[in-house]
Amino acid sequence: MKITCVIPAYNEEKSIALVIEKLRPYVDEIIVVDDASGDETSLRAAQTGVVLVRHIINRGQGAALRTGTQLALARGADIIIHFDADDQFQVEDIPEMLAPLQAGRADAVLGSRFLGKASNLPKMKKNIIMPLARFTNRVFFNIRLSDPQSGFRALSRESAQALKIENDGMAHCSEIIYQLFKNKNRVEEVPITVVYHEFGQNFSGGFKVIRDILIQKLIN
Amino acid sequence: MLQQILALIVILFFLIRLFRQKKKKQITGNEFLLWLIFWVLALGAIIFLKQIDTFVAWLGFSGTAINILVYIAVLALIYQVFRMRLNIAKMEKNISTLNQALTLKK
Repeated sequence: MKITCVIPAYNEEKSIALVIEKLRPYVDEIIVVDDASGDETSLRAAQTGVVLVRHIINRGQGAALRTGTQLALARGADIIIHFDADDQFQVEDIPEMLAPLQAGRADAVLGSRFLGKASNLPKMKKNIIMPLARFTNRVFFNIRLSDPQSGFRALSRESAQALKIENDGMAHCSEIIYQLFKNKNRVEEVPITVVYHEFGQNFSGGFKVIRDILIQKLIN
Repeated sequence: MLQQILALIVILFFLIRLFRQKKKKQITGNEFLLWLIFWVLALGAIIFLKQIDTFVAWLGFSGTAINILVYIAVLALIYQVFRMRLNIAKMEKNISTLNQALTLKK
């Protein structure tokens, strides 16, 4: 079973090599998609000998994941892991993420920051943004997940093939979750630890996600 | 009356500009037609302001014709912004598709 890890990277020259080295023992292949970084992300990744592709122009994390997933499928991946380049996810969680897929229990596994393992989640995110996102998922999409915005996921080949990531920006997280359920995948959540170095999306970022999802609906 | 004359001058200025742009082939036939209709309607609205006033009152609105025209203009602008946002989103999507194709082709 070929396990491929896709890392979308944008201006991650400080952490990319470290993340790749940590990942190596856990996966068969690593694909880095440099989303037209302005720094030396590509150079640092290339020095490690991973599969590296580079976007000509910056298109966002969703677009980089789409490119990486396509490439992983073309290179014969059986399981695809989406992993961030900023060293916030813990590679030690990978075996637990893979277990349900390898046992044939699930088609997609999502990492959850709310299932026991400690994450230093910012208060705003933990107490306002996440409950709101969880509520939106339940009410509008009938999706019950403890973590409504997880970027750490593992997908079976079939699940990844059926996935059509349309959102280039941060809305891809919600979009992937929505599609996984729409495509009737067996989805399992696994506890993960996330160590935040700088805090990502703020409150307006949450609104931007909703806006992007709505626009995507309208143009499709 | 002075306001009407000023509005007419502005509209005439844009109409002349529109014909010049068409002559220099800076805009397509469809664009020319669209803007011509828009400015002719604006011209008509200014010239027949009193009649529109009567019509608006007959419809039961309490505001004057100018008020109604401003409301319509604002709504039209909002709609245009919305359309433009959708067009930009479509273009962005195409750019991403192209970007991905070029990246994977290498």
